[in-house]
Amino acid sequence: MTLVLRLVFSVLILCSATTSFAEPVRIQLWHQMIYSHRQVLSEALRQFEKENPDIVIRETYRETEELRSSYQAAAMGNSGPELVFGPSDQIGPFATMGIIQPLDGLLSPEELAQYDPLALPAYEGRHYMLGGTVGNHLMLLYNKKLLPTPPQTTDELIHLGQKLTADLDGDGKIDRYGLVFNYTEPFFFAPFIPAFGEPFMTADFAPRLAQPGLSKTFQFILDLRDKYKIIPKECDYETANALFKQNKAAMLINGDWSWGDYRDAGVDFGIARIPMVSSTGKWPSPLVGTVGYSLNAHFQSPAHKEAALKVLRYLTSASVQKLFTQKVGVMPSLLSLRADAVVKQNPLLQASSSIMAVGLPMPVVPEVRGVWDSLRIQYQKVLAGTLNAEQGAQSAQAMAEAQIQNMNQVIPPDAGALVVKGLVGLLILVLLYLSRNSVVLFFRGFRGPQKFVYFMMLPAFIGIFAVIIYPFFYNIAISFSNFSLRTFQDWSIVGFHNYWEAISDPKFYSLLLKTVVWTVVNVAFHVTLGVFLAVIINQLMPAKAFWRTLLIIPWAVPQYITALTWRGMFNQEYGPINQFLQKFLHLSPVQWLSQPFTAFVACIVTNVWLGFPFMMIVALGGLQAIPQSLYEAAYLDKANAWQRFRHITLPLLAPVMIPAALLGSIWTFNNLNVVWLVSNAGEPGDQTHILVSYVYKAAFNLYRYGYAAAVSVLIFLMLVIWSLSSLRSQYKKETQA
Amino acid sequence: MIKRIFAWLSLCIFAVFSLYPMLYVLSVSLRGDNAFQTQSLEIFSSQSTLKNFVVLFTETDFLLWMRNSLFISAVTTLLGVALASTSAYALSRHRFRGRNLMLFSLLASQMFPATMLILPFYIILAKMHLIDNFWGLFLIYSSTALPFCIWQMKAYYDTIPKELEEAAVLDGCSRWMTFYKIILPVSSPALVITALFSFMTSWSEYVIAAVVLQDPELYTLPLGLRSFQASLATQWGLYAAGALIVSVPVLILFISISRYLVSGLTMGSVKG
Repeated sequence: MTLVLRLVFSVLILCSATTSFAEPVRIQLWHQMIYSHRQVLSEALRQFEKENPDIVIRETYRETEELRSSYQAAAMGNSGPELVFGPSDQIGPFATMGIIQPLDGLLSPEELAQYDPLALPAYEGRHYMLGGTVGNHLMLLYNKKLLPTPPQTTDELIHLGQKLTADLDGDGKIDRYGLVFNYTEPFFFAPFIPAFGEPFMTADFAPRLAQPGLSKTFQFILDLRDKYKIIPKECDYETANALFKQNKAAMLINGDWSWGDYRDAGVDFGIARIPMVSSTGKWPSPLVGTVGYSLNAHFQSPAHKEAALKVLRYLTSASVQKLFTQKVGVMPSLLSLRADAVVKQNPLLQASSSIMAVGLPMPVVPEVRGVWDSLRIQYQKVLAGTLNAEQGAQSAQAMAEAQIQNMNQVIPPDAGALVVKGLVGLLILVLLYLSRNSVVLFFRGFRGPQKFVYFMMLPAFIGIFAVIIYPFFYNIAISFSNFSLRTFQDWSIVGFHNYWEAISDPKFYSLLLKTVVWTVVNVAFHVTLGVFLAVIINQLMPAKAFWRTLLIIPWAVPQYITALTWRGMFNQEYGPINQFLQKFLHLSPVQWLSQPFTAFVACIVTNVWLGFPFMMIVALGGLQAIPQSLYEAAYLDKANAWQRFRHITLPLLAPVMIPAALLGSIWTFNNLNVVWLVSNAGEPGDQTHILVSYVYKAAFNLYRYGYAAAVSVLIFLMLVIWSLSSLRSQYKKETQA
Repeated sequence: MIKRIFAWLSLCIFAVFSLYPMLYVLSVSLRGDNAFQTQSLEIFSSQSTLKNFVVLFTETDFLLWMRNSLFISAVTTLLGVALASTSAYALSRHRFRGRNLMLFSLLASQMFPATMLILPFYIILAKMHLIDNFWGLFLIYSSTALPFCIWQMKAYYDTIPKELEEAAVLDGCSRWMTFYKIILPVSSPALVITALFSFMTSWSEYVIAAVVLQDPELYTLPLGLRSFQASLATQWGLYAAGALIVSVPVLILFISISRYLVSGLTMGSVKG
């Protein structure tokens, strides 16, 4: 045994040694640049490596949300990339957690003065990010073929929109829309809020959502959809994008990052300010910010720090900014470049800076996350018709305040902390005392006659325990702690607060109910479909192997592919499901993903698709074990097909199906992938969550790790109780039989 | 007769149900310039092109990802089969202290929401210097696939009559030899399933790979595929082409072993 261990360790050490042998300094850069920008970045970095042979840069692409959560995880382990690139609103949380460092001491004030202040967002008086570009703001893009000049006011917008929204081929379906945009995302309608009323955050970053400005904005968009009918019933980013590219939308609200895409697609477009709100005479204010680089708070060595700074300076230098401006047409952040030909001769950039003039700086405080989240949730409820505009604004305010309070809360340890610590200590002592004989016997077993058994068992269980045990206890520990945004680096055990909060929240019970419904419906479909198909294949069909193979396909496809595919299929405008409903059944299209009930149905359909083949295979195996003679006997007794199924197949299949269904129910209960990906993180309005997706959101989107861990422990306990009781009743039945 | 028609009809409906999403992916992958959205139900059209596939193989690191994924999956499968077959045998044939507890803890390990394990996984791996290292993935993948594999291997061993081993022992075989020479060969259907499960876990896993692997040189297929998906600009054509190619090896695997699937996947009764 020791030999094996030693071998394993030497291999491990060898592996880690080889990675640290590299002579040049390795700098990691994590970014979330879109495809075309990535290629420019890589070109610039290769150039840098050529000039600086002592530095190697590895750039890693991560999707924005994922970049954030994996950077947090990495920083927890005191590692992670030296440089992280992302939108300016990530610096609030990162700086609060203490995982990025201020640039003020590292770059001189003269250096910083060269940049547009928008590229240097300040958080609590210090600068944590330096952007190579400014902008990232929304504007109106219009198709010059369809309208030569953009509307100046919202009245004009509605008028033009109604003229341009048309059913061109006369099939009763609209083929061209006046306006499209990703209107379910708060970021895309936020510019209207100050134009109808006041900015949505106060000067000291408190939410200001219960204002007429917000309810008027809600109403405005509802009117665009229902009264004037110039925007599609359901429109996400992809749909808006595709419609505009195919000349099926005259106007689009989108950001400066999208220009390259439309240019490549050959759309002849112009840009303009989002039209002035006619009733107030104010221009909508897009949020203007930057996407930029931040430095990790921990460096492996001074050499890394120096190299990272060098890379940072290079990436924000005039030459690289110019390269980006030339290739992808973004506004450089260096003031000196603004007079350069690349900017001056780019009409889009010129128009863009006039749009920026009415913009507002993007807020970077962590609280803004709570504002976005509650805006999104309440707004989607308004769109789905469960709230009116006025109620939506009121509840958005209430929810934002609650979320911000939760996020910023630092729970002090109370008496519960002592109780928890005491209980854990006591538990360990009791376990040690109770198991003292077993442990001795266990180790004695290595010498005794059972030696063989132990050596067969051990490798697998060491693996499982190594991987599962530590994370498991870690979670139990943080479930009693105040681990959250403000205590990211120094959390402590505080007692039962998280559990108390979880079980006293009515939302927990409604989610639990929904999860149970989700599990029962799914497993019921899986098992009945599986048994049904297995019986048909087994008894009636020729070419069993062919059918079996065909029906197994859903199992073979990786889950994340399935989930995204079904999401595409449920698309209101383009999804084949609605196409089918319209063309063959002559039904009106269903807005699958924007109504809570249908969105949940969509998740269930997807998961049923995923899960029935497994049950079918299990059932086929079970059916083959049933002796044919039983059926022949039943036939002689003149039992009909249903009686044969009821009295032979079902009872003999049950012992095989029940363990499979038990396992299936555990998997389904904890299936995050499908719900998260199909409903796009709980849309609409956070109403498609099941418990696990709620846990995921609490931990990774709202930074409430302690709370999320407590809910996870509750999930675990419920599943343990459920499976123990069902195993026991099954065991009883079998021993009686 | 009515029964036959009903059987054919329902089977055909389900065949379409299970096949269509993949055909949809195929049709997206065959559309030219990133046209995820069209309003036609046709799978092939006059504009169908293989451009996405060509770009996938020539302009992206797809082959590199494929190689990494194959390597990781192969090692995980080997480890998984070796560990599951031995420990399941011990659990099936021997009564010893803590056996029931071990069996239940295998099941229980599936009950904790896996997402919350990511953060501590990262901390352990960082401490063991296994970030950006395939060993970290081997460790996690083979262990996460193990509980199910052991559970179902044990159920299969339970169906093998004990007389088989008793005869071997009478002939003078050691316990290891009995296991290796007698039991393993007759368990091939269950071994195949264990292999399949281990393979699938590592082949399509995304979340943990995203945490462990940061160097693009080490990317696996799911990680690579996700990089076509930016927040606001997804390369749908490339993504669909890639998704199709990722699914193909698993499909072939399933088809080639589907006869084992039925005989090997004995979930067994709880009585054990």
